[in-house]
Amino acid sequence: MSERIDVLIIGAGPAGVAAGIGARREGAERVVVLERDWDLGGILQQCIHPGFGLRTFKEELTGPEYMHRFIEQAHSEGVEFRTNTMVFQIDRETNTVWTMNKQRGIEALNPGAIVLTMGCRERPLGAIRIPGTRPSGIYTAGTAQRFVNMEGYMPGKRAVILGSGDIGLIMARRMIWEGAEVEGVYEVMSWPGGLRRNIAQCLDDYGIPFHLRTTVTRIHGQDRLEGVTVAEVDDHMTPIKGTERFVECDTLLLAIGLIPENELSRMAGIDIHPVTGGPVVNDLLQTTNPAIFAAGNVVIVYDLVDNVSDEGLIAGASAAKFASGRIPKTARRIPVKGGENVRLYSPQYVTGETDATIFMRVTHPIEQACRVFAEPGLYSQRLRYARPGEMNEVKIKAEQVRNLPELEEIVIDIQPV
Amino acid sequence: MNYDVVIIGSGIVGASIARELSRYKLKIAVIDKASELPAGASRANSSMIHGGFDDKPGSVKAKFCVPGNKLWHKLKDELDVHLDECGSYVCAFSDDEVRHLETLLAQGKANGAPGVAIISGDELRSKEPNVSPEIVAALWSPEAGIINNFEAVNAMIESARINGAELFLETRALGLMLDDKGDVRGVSTDKGEFSAPVVINAGGVHSGEIASWAGDNSFRIIPTKGEYFLLDRATKGFIHSFLFSCPSKAGKGITVLQTAEGNLMSGPTATEQDDPEDRSTTPEGLAEVLKGARRLVPNFPVNMNITTFAGVRANTESGDFEISVLAKPRGFVNVAGIKSPGFTSAPAIAEYISGLVREEFADRLTFTPNEKFIPERTNIPRFLYMDMDARKALAEKDPAYAQIVCRCETVTEGQVLEAIRRGARTVSAVKMMTRAGTGRCQGGFCCPRVAEILSRELGLSLDEVTRHGGKSKLLVGKTKEFLLKKEGVRHE
Amino acid sequence: MSERKFICVSCPLGCGLTVTLDDAGEVVKVEGNTCPRGESYARSEVKDPRRVFASTVRVRGGKLPVCPVRSKTPAPKGELFGIARAVAELEVEAPVKIGQVLIHNVCGTDVDIVASRDLAAV
Repeated sequence: MSERIDVLIIGAGPAGVAAGIGARREGAERVVVLERDWDLGGILQQCIHPGFGLRTFKEELTGPEYMHRFIEQAHSEGVEFRTNTMVFQIDRETNTVWTMNKQRGIEALNPGAIVLTMGCRERPLGAIRIPGTRPSGIYTAGTAQRFVNMEGYMPGKRAVILGSGDIGLIMARRMIWEGAEVEGVYEVMSWPGGLRRNIAQCLDDYGIPFHLRTTVTRIHGQDRLEGVTVAEVDDHMTPIKGTERFVECDTLLLAIGLIPENELSRMAGIDIHPVTGGPVVNDLLQTTNPAIFAAGNVVIVYDLVDNVSDEGLIAGASAAKFASGRIPKTARRIPVKGGENVRLYSPQYVTGETDATIFMRVTHPIEQACRVFAEPGLYSQRLRYARPGEMNEVKIKAEQVRNLPELEEIVIDIQPV
Repeated sequence: MNYDVVIIGSGIVGASIARELSRYKLKIAVIDKASELPAGASRANSSMIHGGFDDKPGSVKAKFCVPGNKLWHKLKDELDVHLDECGSYVCAFSDDEVRHLETLLAQGKANGAPGVAIISGDELRSKEPNVSPEIVAALWSPEAGIINNFEAVNAMIESARINGAELFLETRALGLMLDDKGDVRGVSTDKGEFSAPVVINAGGVHSGEIASWAGDNSFRIIPTKGEYFLLDRATKGFIHSFLFSCPSKAGKGITVLQTAEGNLMSGPTATEQDDPEDRSTTPEGLAEVLKGARRLVPNFPVNMNITTFAGVRANTESGDFEISVLAKPRGFVNVAGIKSPGFTSAPAIAEYISGLVREEFADRLTFTPNEKFIPERTNIPRFLYMDMDARKALAEKDPAYAQIVCRCETVTEGQVLEAIRRGARTVSAVKMMTRAGTGRCQGGFCCPRVAEILSRELGLSLDEVTRHGGKSKLLVGKTKEFLLKKEGVRHE
Repeated sequence: MSERKFICVSCPLGCGLTVTLDDAGEVVKVEGNTCPRGESYARSEVKDPRRVFASTVRVRGGKLPVCPVRSKTPAPKGELFGIARAVAELEVEAPVKIGQVLIHNVCGTDVDIVASRDLAAV
């Protein structure tokens, strides 16, 4: 049979590397992280701007610097890495993980526990169905970022950015620093998708116009992109007639959202949450298959890499416990429900086996003092505001959960005070 | 360059004719202005292999549709292409529409379409639970199927090439060359002259213009745009077959289908336009498709859309194919105005054209059978569909098959390399030959990787690689050089 | 007296800062910050606005054709385009070590440009 691995981790981005550390610290003997790229670090390899790790390291690092610290740590903790190795299938009955690697060929692994840390992907153009032609020059911001920061090539000379997710804002500044023009950033919603500081330091610093409630309604150009039509939208996000404007550009960068990447999770047969797009998990970050754990952006798209790493540590530790039979059968499974203004949250269950942090996002911004809370009376915290672009947290102690009566559910919400 | 036959256009029609003629020892050139195949109407259509009930008995379409259907059921193995032999339904919502089904049934019988029958709405729903509860009856056509049209066109032209035909991409026909007697001498192109005593016009949406070069203005092509939605392959099984609606006041007959690869798809509109090259989607068109899709399949999961696209088909005023041999100039054959059911009909049209050419042009060409004709052609390995032992064996033989390039469709580097070996020169040629980039991320992941492999294999720099030929370069230069050039700073 | 408003870029919170200046342009008051970093950011933003610069440099013989770099410390905002040009002109030899100083005192700003990853030679 295949080699013995206690905890097998899929993806060596921030969640996976942390999961490796977490698993080793919890006593798992053989911890292997699989990575499809030739190098470790995941998407943070191409996120060369500072802004990572302030909470963990008390200083702002670039993506590669942040990962460097974690990777060094993982090496010293005895985590094994296998690069150029892609998992292409997980069998749902046996939890067999199928990998491929040019040197090793195709292999089957049967670890004691699996941690899914595949991260997320960008929403493509098709997801928003913009009419027009299909020329070259349309990229997701992350693909453009790879071309610029890893390959050393420019995707275009004059860009329009659709969507105001952080990668789009970061790429606006990056394009400017490489000598390109950025005509503007267009956001269909009434509020920005990314952080306010990125609007300030990536757009405002360079005089890049930021248009809310405006979107791209048509794509022009046969071979290479020649321009886009933009238009303002009404409350139903329908373009308003008469506001259309042609914008000349050779590049359209899309920053219209991120989707957890769960092809393998689906193959493995675990439940995927319809709203988060990630696996349904409990506070041990255990999925609906008890041997499979998940952490990071594969579960729910986080704002901060610090959170991703924290969750990775938890998932790795939980997987190590599971692999050695240390997750008690008596663990509880109390559902967490979101209130009216909660768009998404994770985990969806708590066990009482650990202190839990529940991450959540509001549907609509609350631009006044408000309160984030967990009922019945488990948590309450005052906030200055709550915005969809910024996650909120609810913290619940293990003993609070253990003391809840049977059949109880926990309700989390954010409301103005 | 001297040839026996020049075929203008390498859509499914031109490619099929090339393959049929390659059964004879002929020097055949197929020219196409595109950088990759398929390009025209063969690229963007419903990918349907029609059952043969929709065409008026006695029409040219009716003559070729049922035989074409039969040929595809054989060709799918010969050419190793995906044909989902799923059958089709025409859905009726009212008594009026049921009467339309009866007309279609009679036509089907007259055309020799096997197995066509009317079933109840409930029977349809037992097979296709997601269709509208308001459908009262459906016309079932068991022989209908859905083909991977990207694969099919590439397979057809590849088979022709295996048997000696030559393909010239990025070669635009500019006019017909005539000899002293005013008969066909060849085709002039932007890449030089292609001399040949026989020229076949398979120019699709441009076939009217090409016919006019021969002085034939007997028909006119009406470019007709069809817009489509293509959904994530995770929708597989939502619908298992091909659903037509009856043409009605509500719309021109939007269909819903599951492609040969398992994606849910819906379309097309039918909008007449002047520009044969305008393949842009429109808000009105997409809204019409969505409305039509929801009429057939109320829960059509449009939120799982991954791309929208449009094709332009070569409609004619007669509504029928325009297939003819001109008396003057001698040597000119029209295979024009081929629209739905053109893909279905193509192999049968090709057989017919082969016979016609032999009959008509015995004075201009010598027809010696090509004893070395090989009907079979094998596809690029499809890793996604292989069993694990086959995958292991392939990866062991060639490690490039142990490297994923496209994660959505599980396409390996080995497949991409094989596509390049078989002639792919652009990112979207690789896409059509391997499916890399056809998945839910629409190339976000694999486009840079495919571009890298293309640049490596073709000896190009990355900023010379194009999306689909022409000026569709992916990148505009190297980062630092770009900045220094722009700022006007001298670089030592 | 005058007022200036900024979004603090020191951390992901992005606090809205209001700085009150006296007629001599001296900072009288900073409001809206939720931590001391905000206060110092506001004071710097008025007098000597700075940003961390991050880009890539060309690499000869490396596993990648470019290596990410950053300014070790925040650089004067007005010098960023000059720094971008200086960085664009540079080409380094692989291997590159994280933290390695690639340009000392870039554009006379007293700020160093350092590599922000390890990049092995091929």
